[in-house]
Amino acid sequence: MTITEKLAALPDMISPGISSCVGCNVELILRTCMKVLGSETVLAIPPGCMGGVGVVGHNTKSGAKCPVFFPLLDNVASMLAGIKLQYERENRPVHAVAFAGDGATVDAGLQCLSGAAERGDRIIYICYDNEGYMNTGYQRSGSTGKYAWTSTTPVSAANRGGKRQHKKDIAQIMAMHDIPYLATCSPAYIPDMVSKVEKAMVYSQEGLVFLHILNPCVTGWGIRPDLSIQAARLSVQSNYHPLYEVVRGKYHLSMEFPEAKPLQEYLGLMRKYAHLTPEEIAELQAVTTSKWQRLKQLAAMGELS
Amino acid sequence: MANYDVLNGNRAAAVAALLCRPDVIAAYPITPQTPVVEYLMQFAADGLLTSALCEVESELSAMSVLTGATLAGARSFTATSSQGLALMYEPYFRASTLRLPIVMAIVNREMISPQSVWGGQQDALTLRDAGWLQLYVEDNQEILDTIIQAFRLAEHPEVLLPVNICYDGFYLSHMAERVAIPSQEEVDTFLGVRQPSPVVLDTRHPIAVDPLTTGEYVMEYRHKQVQATRKALQVVQELNSSFAQSFGRDYGGCSESYRMEDAEYALVTIGSMTGAAREAVDLQRQLGQKVGLVKVRLLRPFPVQEVSQALAYLQGYAVIDRSVSFGRDSGILFQEVAAAMYTLGKYVPAQSYIGGLGGEDITVPMLQQVLAEIAAKPPEPTARWLQQEVD
Amino acid sequence: MKYRTAYPAPLGAAGLHIINTGDWRTLRPLLNKEKCLACGLCFLYCPVGSVQAEDGYRIDYSYCKGCGICARECPGQCITMVPEGGKDG
Repeated sequence: MTITEKLAALPDMISPGISSCVGCNVELILRTCMKVLGSETVLAIPPGCMGGVGVVGHNTKSGAKCPVFFPLLDNVASMLAGIKLQYERENRPVHAVAFAGDGATVDAGLQCLSGAAERGDRIIYICYDNEGYMNTGYQRSGSTGKYAWTSTTPVSAANRGGKRQHKKDIAQIMAMHDIPYLATCSPAYIPDMVSKVEKAMVYSQEGLVFLHILNPCVTGWGIRPDLSIQAARLSVQSNYHPLYEVVRGKYHLSMEFPEAKPLQEYLGLMRKYAHLTPEEIAELQAVTTSKWQRLKQLAAMGELS
Repeated sequence: MANYDVLNGNRAAAVAALLCRPDVIAAYPITPQTPVVEYLMQFAADGLLTSALCEVESELSAMSVLTGATLAGARSFTATSSQGLALMYEPYFRASTLRLPIVMAIVNREMISPQSVWGGQQDALTLRDAGWLQLYVEDNQEILDTIIQAFRLAEHPEVLLPVNICYDGFYLSHMAERVAIPSQEEVDTFLGVRQPSPVVLDTRHPIAVDPLTTGEYVMEYRHKQVQATRKALQVVQELNSSFAQSFGRDYGGCSESYRMEDAEYALVTIGSMTGAAREAVDLQRQLGQKVGLVKVRLLRPFPVQEVSQALAYLQGYAVIDRSVSFGRDSGILFQEVAAAMYTLGKYVPAQSYIGGLGGEDITVPMLQQVLAEIAAKPPEPTARWLQQEVD
Repeated sequence: MKYRTAYPAPLGAAGLHIINTGDWRTLRPLLNKEKCLACGLCFLYCPVGSVQAEDGYRIDYSYCKGCGICARECPGQCITMVPEGGKDG
């Protein structure tokens, strides 16, 4: 069965009309992931883009065809842990799934996520990372990249500014929790993402599984809507967001590019980096390259003892 | 057939929780509640407790795990104190507004700052408007009995609200008393069969819980919660009678009047101070003063009619508070009582007393002095503070 | 107070909340069926799910927002974005 046949045969679990931005690739991965996860799912959508666009619904109506709810911004993983515990008590299989932005994951919700990972709570935590609090007007998060414009790390009239700190590497933080499975994904690589969701559904029987998806935000980053997927593709091909898995401690690179695209090609697609100097771009390129090298070393290590 | 044991308050709470067969327990240790968690974990290790236990990393997680578990249909229990209660405020508030019948013991402890780990009621009283039902108990037997009643109260189909059982840190939590322990069968019978709630995340009947909600619906849900809270007052009284019939112990329901029949002056108390207050009343009676006390057991919903009727014919009363309502120059219970008394349409002289903060003792002589004082002096609009002798 | 619902707490139990996002469009994708090789990339990348896997592939305009991802991603340039003419086509 081809990937298109597989996805075409699976029902869309989300309301057909949600108010995400024109060209939003978070909507794309939400629909795709939920097709794979299916109806035996309890879906947690914390405050953020997907909650804001109607996935949990409005007044008396729902935005999804499976049970769905709003956890708080800071307690997604813990609420899901409680839900999963009760379903297990009743011997009922269920996928307890978080679909949470980087704000809820890397900032406010990190404690609960870390606790759930350490305890081995059997939940599937999907983080859609658009590098900021986009729903409320593009404020910075710990996942925002260095030098990026956000509404709370703005660029001055003299064209200087942006966030002063580097992006928190949530995938590596989760890897250090020794969870059974984690993977990075991209909306530009759908078959890869689908296979990772399927693995997540299996490995979540052993503990917390974590998927980190980088979602270039057309509205908040200033990208032409039709270039939504191309931006995601370049994030992978430049090694800014390399695709990999950590399976019970062992690193696997999902793909490698003999010639990585220059980071500048990725940065140049978005207005949030329009003010960068050549030195700043070079700095970001150097960091990207060295993190990629480190990842390659981890992948070459085999089983971590 | 009653079984007796010598239990400290924390153990009484743990034993009560064990008997009520919760599905999920998630609790984080904090002085003076910590032994509750330890006892429950030991019960589990010994095979007595079969609840799913979640070893959470903070109180925020404890209440979060339980709000999740309850949404999946679980009967849930936890316990905390002061700082932990404050830390869980976000999920604590929505437990009531989502109508989740969680039962939580609060081992009352002073709020930091200053750095205190000792008794005070500021923690739970400050949150009285967060929608939880709150009962304050006087001794360890009442801890055990009230937790059992609390599950039936919370899960009543016309209530569906979370319940706090509050007991004073160290005074009750760490002091041991002889306690009658009901049998498992008796508790199972008393709790009966639990009715399912419509507020549930069930893959067999998929709905959204807590969608984005506009004002006209918020008004409606708040109104319904107010109706349910009002109903809870009636249910507390019914459960008190029902429990008294089954187990032989009657706590008066929402409040208890002691020697009030011909009293001219009275103390209004809450929590373990009631024990000292009973002695002070008896001693003052021996000295010829006609005094009594009213113990407030149910703080939320506040038993307006019952308490105001009990105090209606006094020449004066003193409310003893282990809390401060900053900006109101009184304790918190004082305000509740004063507001209730307003419904009488006549003025009864009332004085706020603040004492026992941060583990300071409220002694029998102090309370005797209070009773003598309110008969001798008119009340003041500001609180009087019960202070130990300063050398 | 008159109640609108029978729920004790906020529940979305009265069906799906559907926003008519088809009304948003200023550009509409037109698929050239003769050029189309049915690779499925438009289907995989449409965020809204407007590309239906029927008779190869076809575009359902009910909720299509006109983002242009399909036109951009099609390897054969089989989709063109044209101004949305509304009900008059």
